[in-house]
Amino acid sequence: MQWSHNMRFFQSYAMKKQLWIIVVIIIAAILPTIIGAFWINVAVEILIMGLFAVSFNMIFGYMGQLSFGHAAFYGVGAYTVGLLMAKLSIPFSLSLIAAMLSAGAFALIIGYFCIRLTGIYFAILTLSFGQLIYYIVFEWYSFTGGDNGLQGIAAPHLLSSVTAYYYFTLVIVIAALIVMWYISRSPFGYTMRAIRDNANRTRFLGINVKRYMLINFVIAGAFAGLAGGLWGPFNQSISPDLLNWTESGIPVFMTVIGGSASFLGPMVGSIIYTFLNAFVTGFTQYWPLIIGIVIMLIILFSPGGIQGLIDKWYKHSDSSDENIEL
Amino acid sequence: MSMKRREFLELTGIASIGSLLTSTKGAEAASDPRTYSLGVELPSTGAGALYGGDGIAAIKLAADEINSSGGFLGRYPIKLSIRDTHTRPSVAVREARDLILREKVRCILGTYSSASAVAIKPICEEHKVLHIPAISNSENITKIHFSPYTYQVGPNSYMQAKAVVLGIAKLAKKKGWKNYITIASDYEWGRSTQSNTVALLKQFAPQLKLKKEYWPKLGETQFTSYITAIMAQKPDFVIGSIASKDNVNWLKQAKAYGFFKKIPYPGSLISVSELITQAKTITRGLIGLSRAPFFAHLNVPMMVNFVKNFRAKYNRYPSDWAVMSYDSVYALKQGIDKAHSINSSKVKDTLKSAIISTTRGKLFFRCIDNQLSCSSYLGVIADDSRYPFPIYHDLVEVKGPESWRPEEEIVEARAKEKR
Amino acid sequence: METGGRNSGSKSEREEITGESMDFSLIFSQFLSGLSRGAMLFLIASGLSLIFGVMNILNFAHAALWLVGAYLAYTFWNLLQPYGFSLWVSIPLAAVALSAIGWAIERVLIRRIYNRTLSEQLVFTFAMILVIDNLIKIIWGVQDKAIVRPSIVASPVFIFGAPLDSYFIFVIFTGAVVAIGLWWFLSKTKYGHIIKAAVFSREMVSALGIPVPKIYTWVFVLGIFLAGLAGGVQAPIGSITLGMDNAVIIQAFIVVVIGGFGSLLGTLVGSIIVGEIYAFSILFWPDGAMILIFVVAAIMLIIRPWGLFGTPMRT
Repeated sequence: MQWSHNMRFFQSYAMKKQLWIIVVIIIAAILPTIIGAFWINVAVEILIMGLFAVSFNMIFGYMGQLSFGHAAFYGVGAYTVGLLMAKLSIPFSLSLIAAMLSAGAFALIIGYFCIRLTGIYFAILTLSFGQLIYYIVFEWYSFTGGDNGLQGIAAPHLLSSVTAYYYFTLVIVIAALIVMWYISRSPFGYTMRAIRDNANRTRFLGINVKRYMLINFVIAGAFAGLAGGLWGPFNQSISPDLLNWTESGIPVFMTVIGGSASFLGPMVGSIIYTFLNAFVTGFTQYWPLIIGIVIMLIILFSPGGIQGLIDKWYKHSDSSDENIEL
Repeated sequence: MSMKRREFLELTGIASIGSLLTSTKGAEAASDPRTYSLGVELPSTGAGALYGGDGIAAIKLAADEINSSGGFLGRYPIKLSIRDTHTRPSVAVREARDLILREKVRCILGTYSSASAVAIKPICEEHKVLHIPAISNSENITKIHFSPYTYQVGPNSYMQAKAVVLGIAKLAKKKGWKNYITIASDYEWGRSTQSNTVALLKQFAPQLKLKKEYWPKLGETQFTSYITAIMAQKPDFVIGSIASKDNVNWLKQAKAYGFFKKIPYPGSLISVSELITQAKTITRGLIGLSRAPFFAHLNVPMMVNFVKNFRAKYNRYPSDWAVMSYDSVYALKQGIDKAHSINSSKVKDTLKSAIISTTRGKLFFRCIDNQLSCSSYLGVIADDSRYPFPIYHDLVEVKGPESWRPEEEIVEARAKEKR
Repeated sequence: METGGRNSGSKSEREEITGESMDFSLIFSQFLSGLSRGAMLFLIASGLSLIFGVMNILNFAHAALWLVGAYLAYTFWNLLQPYGFSLWVSIPLAAVALSAIGWAIERVLIRRIYNRTLSEQLVFTFAMILVIDNLIKIIWGVQDKAIVRPSIVASPVFIFGAPLDSYFIFVIFTGAVVAIGLWWFLSKTKYGHIIKAAVFSREMVSALGIPVPKIYTWVFVLGIFLAGLAGGVQAPIGSITLGMDNAVIIQAFIVVVIGGFGSLLGTLVGSIIVGEIYAFSILFWPDGAMILIFVVAAIMLIIRPWGLFGTPMRT
């Protein structure tokens, strides 16, 4: 909201951030040569869950609505890839595209109803739809394997090593992030922000608010589906708990940790969450206790998440920037 | 001032990334070749906590015993890494990877739910790590998607179903039963046990008609609606496949409805855990099924010794889950002894078709599916003056080779899988 | 402990019931089991609905606290076990003890998030679940706990030939007492009027010089008292286990969605609807009980987001 900042300073700050991103990408590229196999697995998980969280933030950060059923799209993507690869032997790359399409289709149907509601009702309706799909997957034994899930989802031979899979995931995730970034910078993205800040005013401007919200919902669902699609071959199996509401909480947590006010905040959240998870479970079984306390502390003392904290320090500004930044 | 802050931030950023990288590197290097790292994946929360806790206790006991004589081969003390799977397959997979890659385990014992077992099986095979499920017993663990690294030391769901069917076929003839209802937990084990039982009943007692099947979800806390629905339909008997804490809830609530007084309930899984935890309330006279009741093998010195040590350490009797988990450690030990190596690839080869000593006597692994030739047990629940809880009387032991799935059916199932 | 001697009676009973009467007894027994399930849900959801209605905070951790209540009831029962009345004392004791915990939680934590966005409140109470569940694990361990019921509620009763677990008579009775008690409190007492007024307009209440934060504290405590009571009542039904709260919170949400946020009558009706859907879908579509419940909830949210008895003012 406050454009009165020193523009030069702002630019240098943005440039600094871009510099940081280049540094991070370089680190990501050489990472497998530095760290061991276990941490490469963790890195793959960070990327996949980060993509999932960034797609969640399309709804949360840009549209201002809290979805508690985002795991449904993630799970639909995972099952699309799983079913196509394990039962029909469709190539991985095609399955991934299909995962985006099917998750997008589900998002279209579910979103059609959800975008009519806001606030608490939106949260609970997405939760209800998510649970509905979860129970269907769980009960439909002949098709989805029920609780057993699907086994034998092997990545193509070229990607069978974890390092290869890491690079593959890295490329896909970066590509997806770039696409989402451009969407968020496009007139469409700014319209979404206008809707978030004041839906009525936007409507008076002659914009079909519902249609914009639905498109955004579908985009978010499709990218969640892509993330889910990457998950199956990584684990060689999938199970219905990928769709459960507790799974929907994970991108929410990541976004809260990283900060919803910035595009890459959820990815930062994923790095922290997943790394902490891998690190902490090594020596205590009380991982949920630790992450629960972390989340509560962040909400109490640093509502903007880690990114918000950094931005605040950089800008010496008490009000966090309302516009979503990188 | 601002510069300082920024610099500080950048420095901390770089420093934290640096330390992150070095710490990850360091953590990985810290694997000691002088110990035998043994992974355990059992839930201490969620639906499987009741059985999982006993499994962990028995594994700890076995590890202590082996370590007191220097460990495996007398020189590799066992280092246990125990992880909680929360009865969730996706958690089980992550933990399996963690155990293999970071803790450098050579073998993973456990998982409670069969869905977790089938999920971690390919991970273990990929990294050439032995996998002994012990508590999970869906036959799909060893029947299809076969992994040479996976060994099953408990009777699988087919063997258990067959044992029940043989018992029920006899009872049905005697009592003139005509129809029945099934109630099974809606997950891999419940599903496969129920379908095997129904298929085998068709074969051995074709006069019986399946009236209806019920699938309460895993983790159900209130079975009342199922209980009343089943009672109102008045079947001649009911077969249940419900496990762990769900089973405790189910038995407790069904009893409060007078269910077992009205409807025979033969051959459902009632392990020693249920006998102990519901010592006061469980219905006497029920015909139950058990996987490894310690009191069936008190003629085996290894069992006597195990019960004595388990009681000394934990001040309670071991359940089926403890017995099988204990045997899984000793199966591993015998494989290592025979291979003269802790290399899991070698151990898996020596265990192939091997005869091993267990608390349940001398048993062998079948070549085609690495299934131990262990028995299933049926009996009538009755009080016993020797124990503070009821045990099985008139115990019928159905041996492994009498009850396991014929090899040609396994070959057929695998051929179908490959297609 | 054993209650024998019913065998001969039930045999003849079984032969008498034929044709139409069997259908009736089937439907009636499903109705009763649905009612008892509904009563349990009402006990849980009433506190959730009250807190949301007055404070506008949807407490994700409500069922986690409910589970703490069940564990507390177990602990009290265990301590008082030598006495015959232990169960009946331990249930209200659990409710009171949990209220104290609720009071502390409100003062230390919830108070700080009143002015936050809805999302922050939701995520905050969601994180509380993780903390509470783990604290339960640390305090009570991983082994399941079970209360042995006194003999008076250990055997079934038969109502028109339909069996009912006699403990559920107590559950249904408690549900009814809570419903009537809350109704009386909200519509007949001074404090009740203030709370009802606060549901509609916080500003108005505070303009009247009534300290809103104080009301919030006590409403929260009352809501958590109900959660503790519900936990205590739940304790003897089956075994008390970790993670039991996960499925329950979602069902409680569904109840509140169907009945309407902040409406006591709505919560009551919603509970019975969900309980009965569950009981009857088992007859007709055994696999689909949960699916059906979420379908009903989704339809309700789509056509009438404020529920059957709620008011459409909050979005």
